[in-house]
Amino acid sequence: MENSTYNGITNKIRAFFAAKAKAVKNFFATLPQRIKNKFAGAKEILTQGNGKVSASMCIMGLGQLLYRQWGKGITYLLAQIAFLAYFIMKGAGDFIGFFTLGVKQGNAWYGIEGDNSVIMLLMGILSIIAIIFYVVIYISNIRDAYRIQCAADTLKQPVSFKKELSSLLDKNFHKTALALPIVGVCVFSILPIIFMILIAFTNYGGTVVPPALVDWVGFENFAKILTLGQFAPTFFKIFGWNILWAILSTFINYFAGLGLALLLNRKCVKGKTFWRLFPILAYAVPGFITLIAFKFMFSYGGPINQMITSAGGTAIGFLDIDAKWTARLIGLMVNAWLNIPSGMLLATGILSNVNTDLYEAARVDGASAWKQFVKITLPYVLFATMPVLISQFIANFNNFGIFYFLRGGLYMDGYFLASDTDLLINWLYNMSIDNNYYSIGAAISIIIFIVTSIISLAVYVMSPSYKQEETYQ
Amino acid sequence: MSKQTGKLKIKPKKLFGAALTYLIILAVCFIFLFPILWLVLASFSKTGSIYSFKGFFPTAYSFDSFVKLFTDTEMYNYPRWFGNTLFISLMSSLIGTALTILTAYCMSRFRFKSRKAMMKTTLVLGMFPSFMTMTAVYILMTQFNLINQQWGLIMIYSAGAPMGYLTQKGFFDTISVSIDEAARIDGASNFKIFVKITLPLAAPMIVYTLLSSFVWPWSDFILPKLLLKNKDLYTVAVGLMSLDNTEFSRFAAGSVFIAIPIIVFYFALSKFLINGLSAGAVKQ
Amino acid sequence: MANVSLKHIYKVYPNGAKAVNDFNMQIEDKEFIVFVGPSGCGKSTTLRMIAGLEEISAGELKIGDVVVNGMEPKDRDIAMVFQNYALYPHMTIYENIAFGLRMRKVPDVKRDKEGNPVPDKNGNEIPVMRKYNREELDRKVNEAAEILGITEYLKRKPKEMSGGQRQRVALGRAIVRQPKVMLLDEPLSNLDAKLRTQMRSEIVKLHNKLNTTFIYVTHDQVEAMTMGTRIVVMKDGYIQQIDTPKNLYMHPANKFVAGFIGTPQMNFFEGTLKKEGDIVRAEFAKSGAALRVPCALLQKVSPRYLGGDLPVCIGLRAEDISLEPEAVKNSGTTIKVRVSHLEELGTETLVYGDINLGYDGIGESDTKIIIKAAGFKDYKTGEIVEAALNFGAAHLFDCQTEESIMPQIPEYNYLDCSAENGTITFAGNKIKLPPAMECADGQGEMLIPVDAINFGGDIEAVAESCEDVNGKKLVLLNVNGNRLYALGDEKRTGSVKIGLDYKKLIVKTGGGQTDPMPLVNGLDGRFVSEKITENIDGKTKKVTRYYLEINGVKLEAPEAVYQKMFAATTGRKVYNSVYRYEWSPYDVALSDSGVEAQVVKVLDYGGEKFAQCSAGGATLYVKCEGAPQGTVHIAPDPSKVSVIERERNIKIV
Repeated sequence: MENSTYNGITNKIRAFFAAKAKAVKNFFATLPQRIKNKFAGAKEILTQGNGKVSASMCIMGLGQLLYRQWGKGITYLLAQIAFLAYFIMKGAGDFIGFFTLGVKQGNAWYGIEGDNSVIMLLMGILSIIAIIFYVVIYISNIRDAYRIQCAADTLKQPVSFKKELSSLLDKNFHKTALALPIVGVCVFSILPIIFMILIAFTNYGGTVVPPALVDWVGFENFAKILTLGQFAPTFFKIFGWNILWAILSTFINYFAGLGLALLLNRKCVKGKTFWRLFPILAYAVPGFITLIAFKFMFSYGGPINQMITSAGGTAIGFLDIDAKWTARLIGLMVNAWLNIPSGMLLATGILSNVNTDLYEAARVDGASAWKQFVKITLPYVLFATMPVLISQFIANFNNFGIFYFLRGGLYMDGYFLASDTDLLINWLYNMSIDNNYYSIGAAISIIIFIVTSIISLAVYVMSPSYKQEETYQ
Repeated sequence: MSKQTGKLKIKPKKLFGAALTYLIILAVCFIFLFPILWLVLASFSKTGSIYSFKGFFPTAYSFDSFVKLFTDTEMYNYPRWFGNTLFISLMSSLIGTALTILTAYCMSRFRFKSRKAMMKTTLVLGMFPSFMTMTAVYILMTQFNLINQQWGLIMIYSAGAPMGYLTQKGFFDTISVSIDEAARIDGASNFKIFVKITLPLAAPMIVYTLLSSFVWPWSDFILPKLLLKNKDLYTVAVGLMSLDNTEFSRFAAGSVFIAIPIIVFYFALSKFLINGLSAGAVKQ
Repeated sequence: MANVSLKHIYKVYPNGAKAVNDFNMQIEDKEFIVFVGPSGCGKSTTLRMIAGLEEISAGELKIGDVVVNGMEPKDRDIAMVFQNYALYPHMTIYENIAFGLRMRKVPDVKRDKEGNPVPDKNGNEIPVMRKYNREELDRKVNEAAEILGITEYLKRKPKEMSGGQRQRVALGRAIVRQPKVMLLDEPLSNLDAKLRTQMRSEIVKLHNKLNTTFIYVTHDQVEAMTMGTRIVVMKDGYIQQIDTPKNLYMHPANKFVAGFIGTPQMNFFEGTLKKEGDIVRAEFAKSGAALRVPCALLQKVSPRYLGGDLPVCIGLRAEDISLEPEAVKNSGTTIKVRVSHLEELGTETLVYGDINLGYDGIGESDTKIIIKAAGFKDYKTGEIVEAALNFGAAHLFDCQTEESIMPQIPEYNYLDCSAENGTITFAGNKIKLPPAMECADGQGEMLIPVDAINFGGDIEAVAESCEDVNGKKLVLLNVNGNRLYALGDEKRTGSVKIGLDYKKLIVKTGGGQTDPMPLVNGLDGRFVSEKITENIDGKTKKVTRYYLEINGVKLEAPEAVYQKMFAATTGRKVYNSVYRYEWSPYDVALSDSGVEAQVVKVLDYGGEKFAQCSAGGATLYVKCEGAPQGTVHIAPDPSKVSVIERERNIKIV
């Protein structure tokens, strides 16, 4: 039995890699063709576009105007003028500033207003985005001119500006509807990510904050974290604990949640909804309240220590500076208390979808309860929840709240601006928000991202959900 | 014959199993209930400090903490925090829901060129915990002058909401496409279909989205802590965190007060919540 | 209230898969057309293309006189009923029906508050578009509801109604706008069997009442047979047959249609046919049964299959097989059947059996037989019974191609003949062949297409019978005891004189054979445009002309041709594609200018002469006079061209 499972897994892995190898081979085999296809449109426009299309290449909208498409032509022309005005007045300077990050050091003493490197970096990014945006519009302008030429050449009515506008509420409604969400995500999710990634390659932070000039330093920050005396030991200590924490807490929460769901799902349990209310209650209380409450509970004056002292013992510093493993254990427990309920809810939902015929069949075949769990329940639940499990792993890896509340702000010997329970994310917070080590913090962020994404990608790729999906496709 | 004996044998075993099950369930329920019970009782304690408690529970009970919470506003202006939280949560919830619903609808109903790419991008972006970029957000907000601005928070919350569109998309996917097609043949544009057909059909999903995007700002502490430095702008979460160690029962009272709406919401929607969670899980 | 014309309609998906292939059909006003076929046959895709929910890859779709290819569904004036009703769940029935009206505007004139028209300065009424008002909505919705008998439910929500009522609402929503064409996509398949039968007749009644064109998609052949005035049977994206229910049943074009139409399914047996004088010996494979069938019953079967060597598929419906002792006694064509089981249906009994008497009754068998017998007859399992086959009603198919080998209109007449010195002897006639037909001396056969016989030659014949097939007349002729089919436009009886169109004949003698003259000339070329300055009414004007370019020669394309080519392509693809231009030999002529070609030889068919030329690898046939030689120029008539796009292999014009 064991052996066959093992063989099954190795076969699956082999099949998976064979399929991947084939996909990779296929990818490279078709690459030239696909590149050719990508540029086929451009080639067609360049070879077959007429003078009016060329006019649009020189001045946006000119071709459209020559074709008497007034609305479109004027819009493109205005866009061109607006961009040029921006670029000449501001964009060009911003763009150059992105690379220099400022040349003139400010000095309040002498009243010299210098360059603010951070703002220059930010404006530089914005100018690049503006340039990309302009290029996209420019290409759409050429395409549009060519489309009008096509229509004219085949005696079709070109799509009028008015029609194109009204299509924004019909055929192209998605463009209208998605515009705002996309802008929002770009500004508040993508821009910070780009900004953070770029900062990791500068020396911004510490003493180097405006008005001092910030510079590009390449991979220096990463080298510092991984090799330099100050950061490296702390990084590896925290990193090791972080991995251990993520695995342990995910494992505990997941299986405890599943166990609780199975327990409440038993036939003999009456009033399931009532019993389920208790975990939901715990789930509903905002996390920070629970965390602060637990901190109180384990504090010197807290109820637990009161009971210990009243029983004649001495108060225990559960979360003290030297309470390494007790603090870690309490962290795990509190985290479990917080997260088991959601795991239970999830498992309950999944379990209600399991085909009960399978259990009937298994019972008829004489499978024990444990066998049923291992052979039916577990594979099904694992399959259905694999994506959630991964996101839980990532959430736990980056669980900021637990130790921020329980043991926030502790700096220990042997650690640089951190304590032995801090996770990378807490260290990151300490460094960048509390102590201005921005570039190092950004570099840590990137490392965290790389680690978590590699782990989750690997787990996801190996997971049954992914493979099943492939067989369905 | 064998059936008979089998029944006789199993019965006591079954009974024992049931008893054990109930025992475990009771223990688990106690574990989950106890800290909350402790907090609730503490909020009714007569003396404010945790040191005056006997073991877990206060020695005397009264409504003092609640009264103080709303009247003694000089140091800790709870009513103000509460108002701030309510404003931020309501606005974020409204804007965020609108954006989420629009995104989910488009992803479910339109097949445009960059759709696959966008779905993958949101998946990758989801891997960056919103938290990790907080340094960058902090610096950006400083540059945009949005520190100490409630609208700054609202913008961040509502702009982040559409990233979690998958549950809503799953819901839209279940609405038959032929309804849309029937409406198209009836002469409705996509905008009209969205307004007159899809939105009314998605009413329960909209309520769910409204509430769940209300809860996040309502109970978040990281962003407000980061971006709101002015005491008058504090949300409840930041305010409660700033409470002195000695003010335990005030903390408890404030917590109870802010937790109640969410608890009510979760209880009301617990069934929906399970479905939503599992739907998202299977679809992804 | 419109006809629908589908010309060379294709649905090609980006991955190259073709869901619908060269769909051609002319749907007349007020017809009830049913598309039927197994799932995935393209019937729904075709319907959705007509509705505008699916883009048309190529071809021309007309509703009324308007080409609607790129038109939005709402502008096509069609209505559609969906399989899952697709009612708006949150609206009342009234609102559901009224929704389509609310989305539309009606032409009116500008009016003041009292409803009196407000004229413009010149006293003319100002046309405006306005929404339907309350009274109009009420009246129209109530009218529709009344027709469908759902007036009392107007205030309810769809979920409070049964499936049948919901489908009525869906119908109401469709008819309230009085569309030109009603499209119904499997509207009854979500209903239970009893309701389905009831709704079936109601939809037919509705069709009679509305007098609108209905196009109805179903996978259920019973629905198709009972409802359609004409039925389109589809499979794998291809039309199998378009015909009336009666013709589909009586004359299925291939084995698929034969098996698809009618319950229980038609019995198919493999066998061979061998002509032995006046009778044909029909042998059934695996059974050993051999029947002697009078030749007259298999008149239309092409003799190729009567040699006893080519396997044929013999199809017989259950109702054309009888177990009645009387019938068995009188029938000359009986077969032994081992009964395997019975299905008692009350009025009749379906007897399942096998004509392979050695068959064990278990497992797959291709010799199974289903017989319709009178109700409650006592047959025992395993019993061997004698069954009478009505061979006159048999359908015969080629085993490989599955095409019918006795189509309603046979392709060829097969006759024995002998040739000597350019003279051919057949059916007691001796005819000098035209010089173009060079056949070797000796015995052989000749194939005369049914349309190669014209009435007006000098061969004596007697018209024995005349059959009406789709407006054409199929005449059975007797020429000295040999039976020939001829296709004509008029009814003929008695003695007639016939002649032959030699171009279409095939004579196989002395080991060789003559080829019929190809009726299509194909040439590859491109499409180009040119701007030229022209002098019109004394003014110089720049105009664009469009040309078909073949081997460097430009032929000016008429508007009808280039507009169709533009319509079938996107972007400037029309200028970048290779096309195959096809003409009939009659539409090309030798002239001073045109495509250069070399004359290979001149084919003289008596009255007509054709020059066989070669041009850039292609062989062309051109009607000519005299005896052209050497290099010639060929000028096709651009207005009579057929255009095929090479890349997608789609016929455009």
